Amino acid sequence: MNFALSDEQQAILDGLEGLLQQPVEGATDPLSPPYSEALEQRLADAGYLSIAREDGFGTLDAGLIVERIARAPQVVEAAATALIAPALGLPAELRPLALVSDSWQKPARFLPQAQVLLVDQGDRALALAVDPERVVPGDTLFAYPYGRLQGSAQPTVLAEIDPQVLRRRWRMALAVEAAGCMAAALALVLEHVRTRQAFGRPLGAFQAIQHRLAMAAEPVESCKWLALRACWSDNELDASLAATFAQSRSNALTYDLHQFSGAMGLTLEYPLHRWTYRLRALVGELGGASQQARAAAEAAWPETCA
Amino acid sequence: MTLSADQFRQSARAWLADHVPNEPAPRDGKAARDFALAWQRTQVAGGWAGLAWPKAVGGQALSIQEQIIWFEECARAQAPSPLGPLFVGLNHAGPTLFACGTPEQQATHLPPIIAGEVLWCQGFSEPGAGSDLAGVRTRGRVDGDSLIIDGQKLWSSYADIADWQEVLVRTDPDSSGHAGLSWVILPMRADGVTVRPIRNLAGAQSFCEVFYDSVRVPLDHVVGGLHNGWATAMSTLSFERGTATLPLLIELVARIETLCADCSRERHQLRAHLVGLRAEAAAILAMNYRFALDCDRGVPDASGSMLRLSFAELAQRATSAAIDLYGIAAPEVLGLHGWGYEYLHAFTETIAGGTAEIQRNIIAERVLGLPKEPRARR
Repeated sequence: MNFALSDEQQAILDGLEGLLQQPVEGATDPLSPPYSEALEQRLADAGYLSIAREDGFGTLDAGLIVERIARAPQVVEAAATALIAPALGLPAELRPLALVSDSWQKPARFLPQAQVLLVDQGDRALALAVDPERVVPGDTLFAYPYGRLQGSAQPTVLAEIDPQVLRRRWRMALAVEAAGCMAAALALVLEHVRTRQAFGRPLGAFQAIQHRLAMAAEPVESCKWLALRACWSDNELDASLAATFAQSRSNALTYDLHQFSGAMGLTLEYPLHRWTYRLRALVGELGGASQQARAAAEAAWPETCA
Repeated sequence: MTLSADQFRQSARAWLADHVPNEPAPRDGKAARDFALAWQRTQVAGGWAGLAWPKAVGGQALSIQEQIIWFEECARAQAPSPLGPLFVGLNHAGPTLFACGTPEQQATHLPPIIAGEVLWCQGFSEPGAGSDLAGVRTRGRVDGDSLIIDGQKLWSSYADIADWQEVLVRTDPDSSGHAGLSWVILPMRADGVTVRPIRNLAGAQSFCEVFYDSVRVPLDHVVGGLHNGWATAMSTLSFERGTATLPLLIELVARIETLCADCSRERHQLRAHLVGLRAEAAAILAMNYRFALDCDRGVPDASGSMLRLSFAELAQRATSAAIDLYGIAAPEVLGLHGWGYEYLHAFTETIAGGTAEIQRNIIAERVLGLPKEPRARR
């Protein structure tokens, strides 16, 4: 794994940076709805969400893009489209995608927008067509739009898909997205503690705060590189380890970042929640960190996990 | 436990079974006020209000043991949480008036708090003075027999529905730091008071910004002496950090037990985690009981910070585990009364009443006797 970006990768990320800097409705208002269809469409039109399908590019490039998009204050469905769909042979135009474990009747992230629902049933997996008429949007406290399908008839099956590939890419996608959310949240809080004064000096001058933010920076940085490694290798072990690490370290990080934002960080007027809400939702996906750790053990020592 | 304690418990249990409201407490606005005051009046009518307070002001003057039993039975019966709009009156302002108020102030303000006629809110924090409370800049200028108050307070829970505020203002214009402050009883409907509710992480509007534009308050509304507000405020905070934690912790313990019961045997890791939380809760509860018995009716000592800190961090771990248990989009998690709300609310626990960092400093300096951290010159 080469940690330096190639010229092509740098050019793509520079272009993406420019696109994300352009004004989008609600971008600067923390009280506006977090999901931005306009930004998602703009990213799709510019080809960023289908980069893994382009000649000369692959999963690592898609991972770099998803990580950067996750640092934006708006929520878009980029991870499943860019990182999961290409490995399942689903056409690029079938997006956004929603994901759910066990049963298609459970609440799924992005279902109110999705064309396709990917269902991981354990020993098999399905790509189902989403009939918007059957979608019941759900309440959510955690930034992502959720919904579930009503009715008892199974929706049209678009494809039977490989459950192992689905889970591997899902783990990769959630790790990369979590890494971006962590990085953006940390950057916001670092700016706050540099400028906010208490007891006659900046908050960041207190050793108690310095040490905890130094410890927070370590999982943020390592989560990113492990997630990108998983994108690069595209193997079971790396994907499981990346998801385990992201899910097991997010909660403590979230508490620290809100803590150092003081009471302002408890309001919707301060944008920190835009990333920490997403992190809390990602922590529980695919059964949570302990399930990913079991998957990692099975990938690393298959003979002991029969 | 004596027979009379058992009888007390049975009596409390029977009364609660008949009187606990069926609907959950509204989170904000006038509905939250009406609900809280009605619940307090129900307790008054049943003879269950002000268990720790003297009979002269409408209380029951019961022992701390009986109060503990009452809190345990309230948690068991899922009675309205003590952390609602009544909290400041019953747990901050009331105890502070007992400790520092004049007989006239006590006679005027304590009976209506107990009777469920008024709500109180707190006005300590400001945009530039949160953990560093000595940075208070809201001014109180003495003008004859009045104070004229100008400035701004922040994070004042339920200020939009409160009748009175305990407000900390700088009355000595030449002072700085802890000196020259006063603890003042401020009527929220006075001319010049403006309240702006702020939407919290969970979507409710329970804390507020309060602006004061030449608000005139009689000088006899100062509690504990003019320019002596820091000592009075420390008394208030010692109640908040100490005894006020007890009912909240007892409620949390009951909720953790529900989580343990709802976790299936197949979820080994989560089950072990939840039982670990249950053990931690039992340990903190034991420490709380020791503290409560030690400082029955006195002003709590600094070790209350250990209770406050351990409760706050337990609340965060427990509410987060609840989301792991039920799932992010489960009915148990969604809505203003689900675990998702509790999870987001728990972020406040390590900030309100002094941040976790302030509590750690207090434990280090005032409980363990360690040297003070070097302070910057002002």
